[in-house]
Amino acid sequence: MITTRRYFVKLVGGAAVAAGAGLDAGPTRAQAAPVKLGVLAIRAGIAAPVGTAGLRGTEWWLERVNKAGGILGRPVQLVVEEESNPKDTVERYRKLVLQDKVEAVLGGISTGVTLALGPVAEDLGTPWLSWDGTTQKGVDETMPSPKWAFKSVDNEVEAIVAGILTPKYFKGIKTVAGIGNDYSYGHDCWESYQAVLKRYIPDVKFVLELFPKLGVTDFTAHIAAIQQAKPDLLMCSFWSGDATILMKQAAAVGLFKTMKGVFTTAGGVHDSLKKEFTPEGLLLGYNTMYFDDPNGSALLRQFVREYKAKYNEYPPYECDHAYFNAESYRAAVEKAAGGGTTWPSRAAVVKALEGIEVESLSGRRSWREDHVQMCNFYQGLTTHKNPYDFVTLSPLEVVSTRTAMKPAGAKLFDWINSWKI
Amino acid sequence: MTARLVLGAAVVGVALAPLVAPTYHVLLMLPFMAYAVVLLGLNLLFGYAGLLSFGHALFIGIGAYAGAFLTGPLKVRSLEVILLAAGGLGALVAAPVAALCVRYVKIYFGMLTLAFGMVFYTFVLKFYRLTGGDEGLPFLRPALLGWSLEAMPKTDYLVGPYYYYSLAVLSVAALCMWRIVHSPFGLCLKTIRDNPAKAESLGIDVTRYRWLAFMLSAVYAAVGGALLGPPTGNVDPTLLYWTHSGNIVFMTLLGGFASFFGPVLGAFVFIYLQNWVMSVVPYWRLVFGAILAAIVIFAPGGLMGLAARRRRPMRVSGA
Repeated sequence: MITTRRYFVKLVGGAAVAAGAGLDAGPTRAQAAPVKLGVLAIRAGIAAPVGTAGLRGTEWWLERVNKAGGILGRPVQLVVEEESNPKDTVERYRKLVLQDKVEAVLGGISTGVTLALGPVAEDLGTPWLSWDGTTQKGVDETMPSPKWAFKSVDNEVEAIVAGILTPKYFKGIKTVAGIGNDYSYGHDCWESYQAVLKRYIPDVKFVLELFPKLGVTDFTAHIAAIQQAKPDLLMCSFWSGDATILMKQAAAVGLFKTMKGVFTTAGGVHDSLKKEFTPEGLLLGYNTMYFDDPNGSALLRQFVREYKAKYNEYPPYECDHAYFNAESYRAAVEKAAGGGTTWPSRAAVVKALEGIEVESLSGRRSWREDHVQMCNFYQGLTTHKNPYDFVTLSPLEVVSTRTAMKPAGAKLFDWINSWKI
Repeated sequence: MTARLVLGAAVVGVALAPLVAPTYHVLLMLPFMAYAVVLLGLNLLFGYAGLLSFGHALFIGIGAYAGAFLTGPLKVRSLEVILLAAGGLGALVAAPVAALCVRYVKIYFGMLTLAFGMVFYTFVLKFYRLTGGDEGLPFLRPALLGWSLEAMPKTDYLVGPYYYYSLAVLSVAALCMWRIVHSPFGLCLKTIRDNPAKAESLGIDVTRYRWLAFMLSAVYAAVGGALLGPPTGNVDPTLLYWTHSGNIVFMTLLGGFASFFGPVLGAFVFIYLQNWVMSVVPYWRLVFGAILAAIVIFAPGGLMGLAARRRRPMRVSGA
C-alpha cells in the first residue's frame, strides 16, 4: 500500500472533488471557471524591457481571447511572477504550479534561468512554454526529448542568419572584428557567425574579438581597438541598450564610414536606433518579428497600431514570442478537446502542442516535434527612408528556422560544415 | 523557560511541516534551512566577533559549485561527501582570504570581503569551460545516507527525505555553533568584539581568533551553499554576486544579530516575506529597501530585539 503524503492528499483531494461534483458542480459551472496561466517575466534590470514586451504581448492576447469567449468557454486569468535569478525563478515556478494551480506556465527569457526551469517543469508535469529561453548549454541541447518543456529557438540562430546574409550584402569582406556581451550568448553568437562566414568566405580573417560586460555604457576603448584593427566589417550581437550606446559612440568617431556593420540582434531596441546616429546600410537583425513588415498580416498591423497607441512605442520581437506561446497553448487545448467542451488533460495538451502551427503576429509559427519554436527571422539593411525617427529595414530578408537552425539532434558546427554552398 | 518553549515549538513545527503544510511552503523551507546554516556561521563573525562581511556569498557559491562538480563531472552523489567537501573547500579558500581580511576591521574589513567575493564571482563568470559561465552547472540529485532515491519524483524527494536531511544538518550545525559561542573561544570573540585592545592585553591573540571565526563562518556558508543547490538543480554565478551577500546581511539584521537564533528567524521571515511581496508588488525590491531602512533606524536589534523589548520593557528602558 502506498502511503506517501502526496498519495494521501490525492486520495483526499479526489474524494473532495468527487463529493463536490456530486453536490453542485455540474459540467457547465466547472467549464465556466477561469483557467489560470502563469507568466514569468523579467521586470527589473537590463532585460526588463524585454520581459515587459513579452508581458504586453501576452496581455494583448489575453484581451482578445477573453473577448472571444475564452478557451473552451472558460475565461483566462494571468498570474504574473518575476523572472530573476535561477534560484528565485525556480521558486516562482513552483509557486505558480503548486500554489496558484495554473494550467501552464508561459515565459522565461534568460537561458541561465531556463536551463534550471526545464527539469523543474518536467518534474511538476505542467506545460511550460518559454518565450525566449532555451535549455541549451552553449550551443548544445541538454534536454533533447522533453515532455513538458517547450523552448525558444536556438540562441545562435540570428548570428547564423547574419552569417548567411553578410556575403550577400557586403562583397569583398576580408577581415572581421566582433563585439558581444561577455556571457554565453555573446560568445556563442560570435563562434556561430564565424563558422558560417568561413563557409561562404573561406579566406576571411577574424582580426579582433571584444567581450565587454553586459550593461557597460562606455565603449570608447573598444571603439578605439576596433579602429586600430581596421576590419572590413564589425559584427555585434548586443541586444539591449548597449547596442544603442555603441551606435552613438561609434557615430561620434565615424566608425561606419570606414567599415561595414552587422548588428545581429539590435532590432530588440529598434526604436532607440535614431537616424541621427544610426547610418544606413548596416545589416540589422529584428529577431522573429518586424513591426514594419510590408507583407505583415492584418493581425500584426492591428497589434502595432494598438501597441503604439497604448505605450507610445513600436513593439519589439519579444511580444511575438509571447503571443505565439499563448496562442499555441489555446490552439492545443482546443485541438486536444477534439471539438468538445471538456477541458483536456495536461498530457493531451502537450501532445497537441507538438507540431502545432498557429497564426502569430509575425505569421505562421509552429512547435517542432522536439518542442523547439519554428518561425522566421527578419534582417535587412538599415534605411532612413521611413516616417519614423529611427531606422527601419530595406530590403528586408526573411529567413526561416528551417534554413538557419540546426535540426533536432544535430551538432551545430557539424551541421554548418555539412552545408553545400 | 519561555524561550525554550518557543524554540521547542519551532522545532516541532518545522519537523511537522511536511505533514501538514502545502507542498509549496514546505519547499520554501529548504532555502530557509540552507540559509539558516549560512547565517549561523555569518553571525559568529558579525554578531560575536564584530566583523561584518559583505562577501560571504563567495563561500555559498563555493559550496554550491563543489556540489555541482561532485555530482556532475566527478560522479560523486553522496550528500555527506558533498557537505564535507564543500566545508573543506570553503575552509581552503577562506584560509588565505581570512588571513588578509582579518588584519582590518570595520568598513575596511567589509570592503575587502566584498572585493574577494567579486573576484571569485568574476572567476566563475569568466571561466566558462570550467564553471559554465552565466549558464552555471547542474547540481544533480544527491544520494542521502547511501540511498540514491533517483526513482522518486523530485518534489517528493525534496519535501520528504531531503527536507529531513536538511533539518538534521541545520540541527547539528546549530548545536555545534551553540557550543562554539558558549565556549571560551566564543567568550573571547565577544571580548574582542567589545574591546580588542583589552582582549589583546589579556593575552588573547586577536588576529588568530578573528581568523578562526572567519574560517568557521566560511565552512558554515559553504555547507549551507551546498544545501541550496539540490532544490534549484542548477548553480550559477548569481550565488556569488554581491547582492546575494547583501541578502544574507539583510537576513541577519532582520532577525537580529545580537541573538543566537536571530539570523535564523531573519532567514525564515525574509524568505516568506519575499515570497509574498514578490507576488503582490512588482517593485518588491523597493519594499525590501524600505524595510531594511526601518529596521536599521527603528529596530537595530531586529525582530529578536523587538521581542526582547516587549518581554523586558523595564530593563531596556532602565539600561
